[in-house]
Amino acid sequence: MLASSSIAVLLLFGSVAIGSSAAILAWRNRPEPGASPLVWLLIGQSWWSTCIIFGLSAGDPAGVVRWTKAGWVGVMIVPVAWILFALEYTGRDQYITRRNVALLAVVPALTVVFAVTTPYHDALYIQQAGVAPDGTAVVEQGGLWYAVAAGYTYLLGVLGILPILGLLSSGATAFRGQSAALLVGILTPWTTNILYNLGVLSPVGIDPTPVAFAVSGVAYLGAIDRFRMFGANPAPTWRAKEFLFDHIHEGAIVVDGHDTIVEINRTGADILGIDADRALGASASSLLPLDDRLETDGGRDFLTIGTEATSQSYDVTATELTDRHGETLGHVLTLHNVTQYLQQQQRLRVLNRVLRHNIRTEANIIQGYAERTTGATAETITQRTMRIVEISEKGRDAIELFEDAVSDRDTVSLAALVDRSLDDAAEAFPGVAFEAEPPDADVVVPDALSVVVNNLIENAAAHNDGEQRRVRVGAAVDDGDARVWVADNGPGIDDYELNVLNAGTETALQHGSGLGLWLVKWGTELLGGSVSFEPNEPTGTVVTATIPLERVDRRSYAPRRR
Amino acid sequence: MASKTNEPPVTTDHHVRWHAGIPASVVDAGHRIKDVLTYSSAYLVFIAMVEVLTVHLVLSLPLNPASVVVGLVTFAVYAGDRIADAEDDELSSPERSAFVTRHRRLLSMLTAGTYGLAIALSITGGPLALGITLLPGAFWILYASEWLPTLGSYFKRLKRILVVNSAIVALAWAIAVVGLPMAFAEASVTPLAGVVFVYLFVDTFVNTEIPNVRDVAADEAVGVSTIPVVFGIQRTRHVLYGLDLSLIAFVGAALASGVVSTPVAAAILLGLGYALVLAWFVGRSAAPGRLAIAGEAKHLVVFALLLVFTTGL
Repeated sequence: MLASSSIAVLLLFGSVAIGSSAAILAWRNRPEPGASPLVWLLIGQSWWSTCIIFGLSAGDPAGVVRWTKAGWVGVMIVPVAWILFALEYTGRDQYITRRNVALLAVVPALTVVFAVTTPYHDALYIQQAGVAPDGTAVVEQGGLWYAVAAGYTYLLGVLGILPILGLLSSGATAFRGQSAALLVGILTPWTTNILYNLGVLSPVGIDPTPVAFAVSGVAYLGAIDRFRMFGANPAPTWRAKEFLFDHIHEGAIVVDGHDTIVEINRTGADILGIDADRALGASASSLLPLDDRLETDGGRDFLTIGTEATSQSYDVTATELTDRHGETLGHVLTLHNVTQYLQQQQRLRVLNRVLRHNIRTEANIIQGYAERTTGATAETITQRTMRIVEISEKGRDAIELFEDAVSDRDTVSLAALVDRSLDDAAEAFPGVAFEAEPPDADVVVPDALSVVVNNLIENAAAHNDGEQRRVRVGAAVDDGDARVWVADNGPGIDDYELNVLNAGTETALQHGSGLGLWLVKWGTELLGGSVSFEPNEPTGTVVTATIPLERVDRRSYAPRRR
Repeated sequence: MASKTNEPPVTTDHHVRWHAGIPASVVDAGHRIKDVLTYSSAYLVFIAMVEVLTVHLVLSLPLNPASVVVGLVTFAVYAGDRIADAEDDELSSPERSAFVTRHRRLLSMLTAGTYGLAIALSITGGPLALGITLLPGAFWILYASEWLPTLGSYFKRLKRILVVNSAIVALAWAIAVVGLPMAFAEASVTPLAGVVFVYLFVDTFVNTEIPNVRDVAADEAVGVSTIPVVFGIQRTRHVLYGLDLSLIAFVGAALASGVVSTPVAAAILLGLGYALVLAWFVGRSAAPGRLAIAGEAKHLVVFALLLVFTTGL
C-alpha cells in the first residue's frame, strides 16, 4: 500500500484522475479531428504517472526499477501522440499515413526495448541511486539512448507546437482559447522535464514531469469543455485554403522574391503544360514569358500559349505578398483564360468598323441621291438616313463602352466630364436651357462615364417638347461614390420604356424605342454602379447614375532579378 | 445491476397535492435531484455499493475503497450508456432521453470525472485493482459504443448480439463487485469467492433481461437481439425461472459441500426466492419499470438478511 502522502504524490493522483477524465471526454468526441491522438496522449501521461505511483508503493528497489521501466511506455507515447494530435487538429492530417506513424514510432519502440532490457546494456540504464528522505528508492536513468529519447521527445514537442502557434492569432476566440490551453498543456510538463534533466529541479525521489501532468490535464479539460475543442475545430481551415488554391478555375502561381516558383495549383500546371512538382523551384521567368511591361505600363498584357490554331490567351494578374512590415515576400500570379474574350473583342471590332464606316458611307450615298430630288419625300429620306447614322453611332458607342469596361480605362475629372458633356449638348440642342451644378469636390472617374452622361443629357433634351425646355445637370461625391444626375422638365420617361429597361432584355413584342437608355444602364452597370429614375416636379424626370470610385491597380509585378 | 433499468413515470398531479406548502424553489430543486437520480440511474450506484459491501461481508474482507470505486464506475458507465443511447431511448423512455439530451454536457463531464476519480482511487489498491476498475469501461466500449463496428463489418456492437449482450454486462459487474474488494484486500481466490462470483454473474444476467421484456418493441426497432425479442415473453419467463432455480441448486450444493456457511446460503436463497416471485411478474406487471427496480433492490434484501444472520442485528 502507498505510504507517502506528499504533495507530489497527491498531484500524481490528480494527474491520473484528470488525465483519465479528459481521455474519456476525448474518446467520446471521436472522430473529431485530434480526438483519437489526444486520447493516446492522455493515456500516455496517465500511465506514466500511474507507474511512478506504483513504483513509490512497490516497497523494494527492484519494484521501483520495474515500474520505472514500465513507465517508459507512457513516456514515449506522449510525444508521438502529441505530434499526431497537432497535425490532425490543425487539418494537416494528410501527413498522418501508416508509414509516417510507423517511422515516428521507431525511436519510441527502441526506447521501450532498451528500457526493458536495461540490465544487459548501457544504452539506457535504469538503476537505484539511493534512498530519498522519505524512504523511497531514488532511481537514476541515463545513457546515450536516454539523450536520444529526450532529444526526440523535445523535437516532436516543438514540431507539434508550431502549427498550433498559428492559431494564437486566429480571429476566432474559441481557436485562440483552445490553442492557448493546448500550449499550456504541453509546455508545462515539457518545461518541467527540461528543468529536471538540466538539474535545475533537485530530485526528490520522483521525476516531476508526471506531476506537471496535473496542470496539463486541467488545460486539456479546459480546451475540451470551456473552449469546445471538439465543437469548434480549426481543421477545415487549412484544408479549405488548400482546396481553394487547388480548385480555382484560374491558374495560380506563387513566386518568391527571387522569381522562384514556390507553389503552383493544378490549373496553373495544366496551363503551362508541366508537372506541378517539377515546376516547384524553377524560375518563373523561364516558364512564363513575362516581361517588365507588366510593371512599367500597368496595361493589359496577355500570355499566349500554344500553336496558332489551339492557342489560349491568359490575362496575367500579379498580386504582391508582403510581410507584416510591408516588405515584399513574393507575388501570386493568376492566369485567367481570356481566349473567348479576345475572340469577342475581334468580332466587336468588325462590327465597329461596319457601324462606323460602312453604314455612314451607304447613308451618305442615299442622301446624295435624295438631294437630287425635292419635296416632302426627299426631306423624309434625308431625315431617316440621318436617323440611321445616329443609331449606328449609338451602336458604336455601345461597342466602345464594352471595350472600355473590360480594358484599362482612360480617366477624366468628374467636373471636366460634366462640363464637356454640357458643352456638346448646348451645341447640339441650342433651344434648350442647360444649367450645371458642379461637384463640391472633384474626383477622377472612368471616361466611359461620359457615354452615360451624354446619353442622359441627350435623352432629356431631345424628348423635351415643352415651351421652355430646361435640363439641369449636377454631380456630387459622397461615401466613395460619384453621382451624376440629370433633371428635365419634359413629359417624363414612359413607364413602358422603364419596364423594358428593368427587365434587362427585349423581346420581339416588348422592346424600347432606341439605344440611349440601354447605353445608360449598361454603362453604369459595367462601371459597377446603378441608375435610378425619379419623377421631377412639376414635370419631367430626374435620372441619377451612381458609380463606385474604388479602383485598385494590381499590375505592379516586378520579379527581383538575381 | 442491470443495464436497462427504467424509472416509473412521474405523476405531476400527485406532487402538486403533497408539496403545496413548500416553497416552489425547494420543490423545483427536489424535482431536479429526483430527475438526476432516476434518469441518470444514479440509484444504481447505491445498489452497486451495497453489492460490494455484501461481498465484504460474505468473504470477511476488511473495509476498503472498493465500494466507492465501484459506485463511481457504476455511475460513469450507466450514465455514459444513457448518453450514448439517448437517441435510441426516445422510443422506450422519452422522458429519460429528453433529460439526458438536455443535460448531455453536464452528464458527460460528470461521468468522465467520476471514472477518472475511480481510476485514481483504484491505483491505491495496486495494479490488479486498477485493471479491474478499467474492465467495466473496456467492456462498455465493446458492449455499447460504436467503436467495435468501426474495426470492420464483421464486428458489431455486442449490445446487439443475443445472450452475449447480457452476459458481458453480468461478467463485467461480477468481476468488479467480487474482484475489486479482494484486490484492495490482497485476498486470495477461494471456493467461496467462486460461489459468490457465479451467484452475482447469473443474478446480474437475470436482472439485465427483466427490463428487456418492457423494451421489446424498442430493441427490435434498433436491431438489438434480446431473449424477449427472439423467444417471446412467456419463454423469457421460463428462462428466468430456469436460471433462478439453477442458482438455487448451485448455492444448495455449495452449502452441502461446506463452501458456503448456512447464514450466507440462507440469505442468498431467500433472495433467490424473491427473484422467482419477480420472475412470475415478468410480462404480467403493469409497471415494468418498477419491476426492474425491484429486481435490483433484491441486493438490498440479501444484504439486510446477511446483516441479520451474520451479525445478529
